[in-house]
Amino acid sequence: MELVATYGLNFAYSTATLGLIVLGLAVVFGLLGVMNMAHGEFVMLGAYSALMVQQAGLPYVLAIPLALFVCGAFGWLIEWSVIRHLYRRPFDTFLATWGIAILMRKGVEVTFGREYQSIDQSLPGTVEFFGIDYPAYRLVLMALIVALFAGLFVWYQRSNTGARIKAMVENPELAAAVGIDTARLSRATFIAGVATAGLAGVLLAPLVRVEPYMGLDYLLNSFFILVVGGLGTLEGLLTGSGIIGGADVVISAIFDKTAGYLGVLTISILFLWLRPDGIFSRR
Amino acid sequence: MKRRDFIKTSLGVAVTTALTAKPLTSALAASPIKVGILIPLSGPAGLFGPSSQNCAQMAVDEINAAGGILGRPIEPLFADVGGPPADATQAALKLWKGEKAEAFIGMHDSAVRGALTNLFKGQVPYIYTPVYEGGECSPGTYVIGETPEQQLAPVIPWLASEKGASKWYLIGNDYNWPRDTNAAAKGYIEASGGTVVGEEYLPFTADNFDSNLAKIRDTGANAVLITLVGGASVGFNRAFASFGLADSAIRLGTLIEENTLAGIGAENSKGLYSSAGYFANIDTPAAKAFAEKYAAKFGADAAALNSLGESCYEGVLLLNALAERAKSLSAADMDAIADGTSYDGPRGAATMSDRHVAKDIYLAEADGASFHVVKTFANVDPGKNCG
Repeated sequence: MELVATYGLNFAYSTATLGLIVLGLAVVFGLLGVMNMAHGEFVMLGAYSALMVQQAGLPYVLAIPLALFVCGAFGWLIEWSVIRHLYRRPFDTFLATWGIAILMRKGVEVTFGREYQSIDQSLPGTVEFFGIDYPAYRLVLMALIVALFAGLFVWYQRSNTGARIKAMVENPELAAAVGIDTARLSRATFIAGVATAGLAGVLLAPLVRVEPYMGLDYLLNSFFILVVGGLGTLEGLLTGSGIIGGADVVISAIFDKTAGYLGVLTISILFLWLRPDGIFSRR
Repeated sequence: MKRRDFIKTSLGVAVTTALTAKPLTSALAASPIKVGILIPLSGPAGLFGPSSQNCAQMAVDEINAAGGILGRPIEPLFADVGGPPADATQAALKLWKGEKAEAFIGMHDSAVRGALTNLFKGQVPYIYTPVYEGGECSPGTYVIGETPEQQLAPVIPWLASEKGASKWYLIGNDYNWPRDTNAAAKGYIEASGGTVVGEEYLPFTADNFDSNLAKIRDTGANAVLITLVGGASVGFNRAFASFGLADSAIRLGTLIEENTLAGIGAENSKGLYSSAGYFANIDTPAAKAFAEKYAAKFGADAAALNSLGESCYEGVLLLNALAERAKSLSAADMDAIADGTSYDGPRGAATMSDRHVAKDIYLAEADGASFHVVKTFANVDPGKNCG
């Protein structure tokens, strides 16, 4: 029973955090078609925003607005200077954002140094949950992520902006013809996507290693999830996170970590081969 | 300075030097010894580049101030070996054949070491400085780093008797250093009356350790031997403590130095031990003097001292000791006198045997974000590394 609870919670945690990490990429890649190789670096910027708040001795929650501002501002800058010229040229966005990613890593390395940073948990310790001791911060984090996704789902279904984004994604020319400012909407969507990555960075920073190269960890898994789940829907994103995270948790538990990683790679390859649009395809 | 003035001044200096120069033979004798210093300036180990470079430079400056090696000043030639072995080989070859380096000091992984011993084939002295899995026996190759025997033989029995470590879980990254370290560990654990309750190897890409932690809790381990490296070690140790496992099991790492501990963080370092030949705050006069000189030379913001960076300082000292004893810079001459060669460094006295060094080993406990030494094991034998 304890084992089931442990693995169940680990599965839920891994699905939730993967979902949070991939959300920004799902927006930028799934909706705008920009293969953002700098996605992980925005997660990293979020974590360093948390570091700045900690070093200044301010309350941790202030890291959230700071990260949204830093990532949003930087996202605006690169959308304006680079990305907007490359919409609908996915391979070019791939190369351009890879260059931007290197620049961001080096920039942080110059500013903060190459060394590991440690960000304190605002809620250290464990609490008893379903008969096992589970880290308190993780439980709060999972609840936050569920709330975030629920809110986002409702907003995307109901709001005017959500409808306009869907129209733009379906048919940009027609959307422009009916008076939707697609250039502005694309920019806002891009900024929202990278700001979400920054938010993920803030929330995960107390749990992971923080250093200039941490972003690379998050990039590959994010793409795997989108391959499996499919682009453009929240259902796909969550299903993909569940499958990738779940495969890792289950296979690692039965065999070992290497087998778990092999399983994730195998699943991704099978999907690319047999079902390249993923489980939930908007096509 | 204007260009013309510069040329005039340079010419003046050159003429004066030429006129006052000593006879040709002694001028040649004082020509610098070029020493290739191979350290990672990029890649995953690039974190250790700055401290390695600082430490090597400091040793070079000190030896030069004292008259150099065999009366010749050392000219360090730094090269980046943070990439794959093939690139490192190219970099070393360039220094050796192109720049005429007469000796090499290397702080890098074992894959690069294998490629370099194959390149040098004992024709040029090569000092390998970092902690490693043991067993290097190539001619002309001199090893300073801690072997698993040194890090574990005295430490495991001590932890068993003092801290009650009896049920060990072994976890490391999946390559030869962790596997060889754990192979050695099993013998010492058994001899100390303990048992191994689990053994696991993780790919370098691992960033989620939940399933490993569940297994550790499930086995009831009261001690964990960690041979994860760098970022994997940071991530694992943070998650380990967040699950409250630090209350039920001690942790021993054989490559947890000051940078890794900084990443693990003060709130996650309870019951964390590290075994190594050097820590930044070893409480001996030699180590304290070294740390003070380092701070004075490079400033308070310099890369933090750690066992890997400091090993480069020791490497230069060993090269000096070998060359002075052999009265030569040839690897063959050094091989002949290597056994018994000794020097004193920040780590304490070191004596060569089997082209490895017997030296003091420190067991340190994390105290927040820094280490303090809880036990010093004097003059620990490196074990049998040849044959």
